[in-house]
Amino acid sequence: MATATTDHAVEAHDDHEHHPTARTYWITFLLLAVLTAIEVAWSYLGLEGLALVAPLLIMMVLKFMIVGGVFMHLQTDFKVLNGYWFTLAFGIAVVLAVCVYLVVFAAFNFNI
Amino acid sequence: MSDTNVTVDDIEAAGTDAAAAIETAATDHADLPGHGGHEEHYTSLGLSNMKLAMWLFLGSECLLFGALISTYLISKARFVTELVAGNPDVIAGISNGENGELVAEMISEASVEPIFDIPFTSLSSFILLMSSLSMVLAHKAVSEGNYKNLRIWLSTTMLMGATFMAGQVYEFTTFFREGLTYDGTVFGTAFYTLTGFHGAHVTGGLIMLGSLIYLSFKDKMQQDRAETVELVGLYWHFVDIVWVLIFTIVYLIP
Repeated sequence: MATATTDHAVEAHDDHEHHPTARTYWITFLLLAVLTAIEVAWSYLGLEGLALVAPLLIMMVLKFMIVGGVFMHLQTDFKVLNGYWFTLAFGIAVVLAVCVYLVVFAAFNFNI
Repeated sequence: MSDTNVTVDDIEAAGTDAAAAIETAATDHADLPGHGGHEEHYTSLGLSNMKLAMWLFLGSECLLFGALISTYLISKARFVTELVAGNPDVIAGISNGENGELVAEMISEASVEPIFDIPFTSLSSFILLMSSLSMVLAHKAVSEGNYKNLRIWLSTTMLMGATFMAGQVYEFTTFFREGLTYDGTVFGTAFYTLTGFHGAHVTGGLIMLGSLIYLSFKDKMQQDRAETVELVGLYWHFVDIVWVLIFTIVYLIP
C-alpha cells in the first residue's frame, strides 16, 4: 500500500515536470483570444435562432475545455489519476448534473 | 547483568550512529516528491490532498454557479415574456418611470440586450482571460525558482483582476442609473446575483494573490511551495472559466 502510494507520488511529481511549456501557454492564450474575438464578431452578424446560438455555445465549450485542459492542467493531471474508474465516475457525474439542469428547465418551461 | 560492560564511550558512539541514521533517513525522505522542506501528502490518486481538496471545492462551486446561471435564464425568459406582454409592474420595475426609451427598445427587440454594452464587457472579458495566462506563468516561474518573475506575474494577474472588478463596478453603476435595480424586477435580481457572486469570487482571488505576493516578498514562497501557487491558480482559472460561460450566456446570447 505504501509502495503504491509512493509510486503515485513519484508519478505525480514526474507529471509536474510535464506541465506545458511557457510557449504552449502563450499559444493557448492566443487561441482563446481569437475564439473570443470570433464570438463577439458572431454576435454582431445579425443572425438569429440556432444559427446564432449554436456556434456561440460551441465556442464557449471549446474555451472552457482549453482553459481547463491546459491552464488547469487537467490534460496532464487526468493522466496522473490514471484511473479508468475515476474518469468513468467523473463522466457519469457530469451527465447526471446536465440531466438535473435539463429537468429543472423542463419543469419551468412546462410549468410542472 | 555481568556481561553488560557498556562504557560511556559505547553509549556516545551508539548515539552518534543513531543520529547519523536519522539524518540519512531524513535526506532520503526529502528526495521524495513534495518533501523538500514543505511536506505534501499524496492520495492514492497521485494528487496531493490539498489539490484534491481544491478540485472537490471547485466541484461544489460548479453546482453553485450552475444553479445561479439556470435561475438567471429562467428569470430572464419570464421577464422578457411579461415585458413584451406589457405587464405594467415589469415595465415600471425596469424603468423607474424615467427611461422609457430603453424599455421601448427592449420591448421591440424582445430582449434584454439593449441594456448591455458588449464592446466594454468584451474588453473586460479579454483582460480576465489574459490574467489566466499571467497566472500560469507565475506558477511556471515559482516551479523554476525564478522569484522575480513570480512577483511580476502575480502582480500582473492581480492588476488585471482589479481592472476587471473596476469594470464590473462601472457596469453596475451604469445599469443602476439606467433603471436596472436589484429589487426592481426578477431579471435585475437574477442578473446582479449571478454577476455579483462572480465578482465576489474574483475579489476572493485578489486577496489570495495579494497574500502570495506578500509571502513572496517575505521569502516564504519558495520553489517547494509551488503547489500553493498552483492551487490559487486553479481557483483563478475556475473564476475565469465561469466568466467564459457568463459572458456567452448572459451577454452574447440575446
